[in-house]
Amino acid sequence: MDILLFLSVLLIAACGLIYELIAGTLASYLLGDSVLQFSTIIGCYLFAMGVGSALSRHIHRGLAYRFVLIELALGVVGGFSSALLFLAFGYAQGFEPLLYLTVIIIGVLVGLEIPLLMRIVRERYDFRDAVAHVLTFDYLGALVASLLFPILLVPHLGLVRSAMLFGMINVAVALWSTFLFAGELAAKRSLRAGCVVALCALGIGLAGAKRISDAADDSIYADEIILARDTPYQHIVLTRFKDDIRLFLSSHLQFSSRDEYRYHEALVHPGLSSVPTPRSVLVLGGGDGLAVREILKYPQVERITLVDLDPEMTRLFSTHPMLTTINQESLRSPRLRVTNADAFPWVDENRDSFDFIAIDFPDPTNYSLGKLYTTAFYTAAARHLSAQGLMVVQSTSPMFARDSFWCVVETLKQAGLRTYPYHVYVPSFGEWGFVLASKREFTPPQSVPAGLRFVTVQGIPAFFQFPPDMAPVPMPANRLNDQVLVRAYYRDWKDISH
Amino acid sequence: MTASRREFVQAGSAALIGLSIKSDRPIAGSFVNDAPQAGHQLRDRAAFPPARRVEKFPVVIVGGGIAGLSAAWRLNRRGFKDFVLLEMNGQAGGNSRWGENDITRYPWAAHYVPVPGPGATYVRELFEELGVLNNGRWEERYLCYSPQERLFLYGRWQEGLEPAIGLTAADRDQFQRLDDVMATFRAGRHFTIPMEQGLSPLTADLDRVSFRDWLRGRGLDSRLLHWYMDYCCRDDFGALASQTSAWAGIHYFASREHEDKGTLTWPEGNGWIVRQLMERVGSFVRADRMAHRIARRGSGHSVFAGDTEYQCEFVIFAAPTFLAPYLVEDFGPLHDFEYSPWLTANLTLERLPASYGDNSTWDNVVMDSPTLGYVDAMHQSVRTHVGRTVWTFYWALADGSAAQNRQLLLTRDWSDWKDAILHDLERVHPDIRTCVSRIDIMRIGHAMARPAVGAIFSPDRRRLANARGRLVLANADLSGFSIFEEAQFRGVRAAEYVLGAVGSGHR
Repeated sequence: MDILLFLSVLLIAACGLIYELIAGTLASYLLGDSVLQFSTIIGCYLFAMGVGSALSRHIHRGLAYRFVLIELALGVVGGFSSALLFLAFGYAQGFEPLLYLTVIIIGVLVGLEIPLLMRIVRERYDFRDAVAHVLTFDYLGALVASLLFPILLVPHLGLVRSAMLFGMINVAVALWSTFLFAGELAAKRSLRAGCVVALCALGIGLAGAKRISDAADDSIYADEIILARDTPYQHIVLTRFKDDIRLFLSSHLQFSSRDEYRYHEALVHPGLSSVPTPRSVLVLGGGDGLAVREILKYPQVERITLVDLDPEMTRLFSTHPMLTTINQESLRSPRLRVTNADAFPWVDENRDSFDFIAIDFPDPTNYSLGKLYTTAFYTAAARHLSAQGLMVVQSTSPMFARDSFWCVVETLKQAGLRTYPYHVYVPSFGEWGFVLASKREFTPPQSVPAGLRFVTVQGIPAFFQFPPDMAPVPMPANRLNDQVLVRAYYRDWKDISH
Repeated sequence: MTASRREFVQAGSAALIGLSIKSDRPIAGSFVNDAPQAGHQLRDRAAFPPARRVEKFPVVIVGGGIAGLSAAWRLNRRGFKDFVLLEMNGQAGGNSRWGENDITRYPWAAHYVPVPGPGATYVRELFEELGVLNNGRWEERYLCYSPQERLFLYGRWQEGLEPAIGLTAADRDQFQRLDDVMATFRAGRHFTIPMEQGLSPLTADLDRVSFRDWLRGRGLDSRLLHWYMDYCCRDDFGALASQTSAWAGIHYFASREHEDKGTLTWPEGNGWIVRQLMERVGSFVRADRMAHRIARRGSGHSVFAGDTEYQCEFVIFAAPTFLAPYLVEDFGPLHDFEYSPWLTANLTLERLPASYGDNSTWDNVVMDSPTLGYVDAMHQSVRTHVGRTVWTFYWALADGSAAQNRQLLLTRDWSDWKDAILHDLERVHPDIRTCVSRIDIMRIGHAMARPAVGAIFSPDRRRLANARGRLVLANADLSGFSIFEEAQFRGVRAAEYVLGAVGSGHR
């Protein structure tokens, strides 16, 4: 009887600390700055415990009954806290208020449990012994939790399932208490039924909850995954390390928030600044809204059309606070019209004409994506160019995938366009290449929008110089019926990764 | 309203079943485009109703496959519009018929045309008109997209259909020797498309031996090589190499340019060509009109179809030639015309099997399967993302006698064939049953002419192929094998002949 009672104390103490550690870790993953997150969460949590302790004096009757209820509530709230917060991060705004609300609810409940327990056992033990025993096991539980958490729980179970497991332990303590304090309890049946229901719910959660991403996935990414989403089209992963947020689509890096401005300024400005009066712009791919952010720097542009396959991509980047900070809410611009469609059929069916077209697709890693780099596609896309129109194509690295880069250039040529290849240095990508293509002659711009961090009028001509190690190589054009680009890309990257 | 409510309830219960048990999805489907009954009425010389109406045309075309449609295309293009085309089925196209569902169009049989060489002038002329050939360039969107073909062997997929993995040095040597021999035949220019152009008595010996025996006679006995030769014969002729004339086997390889210029194809296969032809000559086509008797009438003919007698001066008989003895009065018996029975199925896939691999491939073949594998209709789409698709499954019933296999086609029910098809696909896609929602099956008893030993130099074939009179035969089977180019050639040539005859003697 005694040992069982004190074991419960140990377990509930461990549970409480685990919830707190999970909240702190989760906040550091998702929001960065772990010192700030842990400090504020521990502070809030301890303060809320104090509130709980203070509130305990207002409980006069039915101590055991209320103790069981508190344990049950803690198990449910704590158990689902991690899953709920992860979901909220992806789908709703106001993640932080929800985070602190959860921490405060858990803190208050934990603050209530020890004073109540002491009052329950007061009749059974000498006061001096009761205090000593309860607090000893309380602190012992904290030690167990603080060791288990980093060594076993995070690496093997992950945050979502660890919370559920400890939620179950918490509810188990509640259930067990209905037997321990059977004498002092009314309505035992309904309490026990409630515990069983909560155990089942948490058990289903534990069995069903995937880790936020698969374990195999984790090893690909150097940094913590803060958001992962499987859509019918791709696997979207956001990672964070300090202030660096990275987007991966189907395991391929799309941008790093530290240097993406270099990529997107280079994609947009050399071409768009040289169009005399750009009114309408088309962006193909680029659902992250970063190219659009650059295009919005041109007040003359009246209408931007963004065509991206994946509605989840454009939804995330138009609603998620962290991502709308990066793209400066570009996807909410009244000048922008977003269309979620497969680009090739869209280009075939649409009849609009554009002064600038930015083609920013993922690299041609397979034959499906390779279709978007063919003479047939560029011919269809070029039909949308106005008389003054220019088109820019992201075209992989002329350094690491030299054959691929020059294959894209040749493909644009075979589609009947003049080509102006150029390259820039983006630290997270390395040397990266683009091709400007048009039916008319291109001359570098005389001015660029104010406030750019990378592209300057003086700097642009140098982009078009290729040193010998990136110089043109003869390559055939990529065609729907003979996708040489996909094979070249595979060879190019295989050569440098092994 | 009731229908939609029933659908709603069905959908609801389907959802519940899906939630409660992890079972294979129920697979719907049936036999489609079934023609055996109508054909057997002809065979059994059933009594047809007497004609109630008479219509008069200078020219009647019997049969709306590629040969008949090509004859119509030519007549129309030459400004001759006083003709009618009678098609027994509800849909013209013959072996190039096609279907469509909410996902895509798909072929029912013939699904590609190899890029025609310079000798196939009529085909090139058609393709220039259809925008397939523009200023000497083949339209990229109509060429088969990468990756084109793959073969499953030794537990994995390889690119291309000619076995390339697991070959011994002897195998490689034999493939190389065969290549060299074919190059010599190619240079000799006796194997051409159309075949009549180059046909020479110098090659008659090759028609007296089976392709299999001819290969063995040259010391080519590699198992992999023979599998591949059998596959090619099944694919083009619906026959095994042992049932095929060596002449035809050689023609398969030696009639086309060595460097592969690719294949022209469309989601609905050659049905695309049918659609283009129908846009031009559809107004002349009368579907669901099975000709059941063709009799001489004065200097011309009467074609009886349904309740109508079509009186005409010329008949272009573009239906399969084996029907002629049943239809045409005093035609006489027919020798040396054999046909292979086929089965094709269109499978609707709600998702791709997990085992499918990263890259959608057009033609997918499994080594040592009795079937010819499947073709993905969505492959020839410019979409980057394909969720649902349609696979066309091809099965030439080559092993055994054609008559027995025709019997098999008729006696086995849809469910048997459905299971046989799924069983075959399960070799490479174990989860196929969870992906497929519908399987429609088309049975064709006399699908393709089979160039058996002696068929090419058969006196009957050569006589009928070149016979000229008031009734001209035009089906591809007069070439000994059923390929698009031969059908189109014979249809156009028959039209040319009729135009000349009508112009000179009768107008």
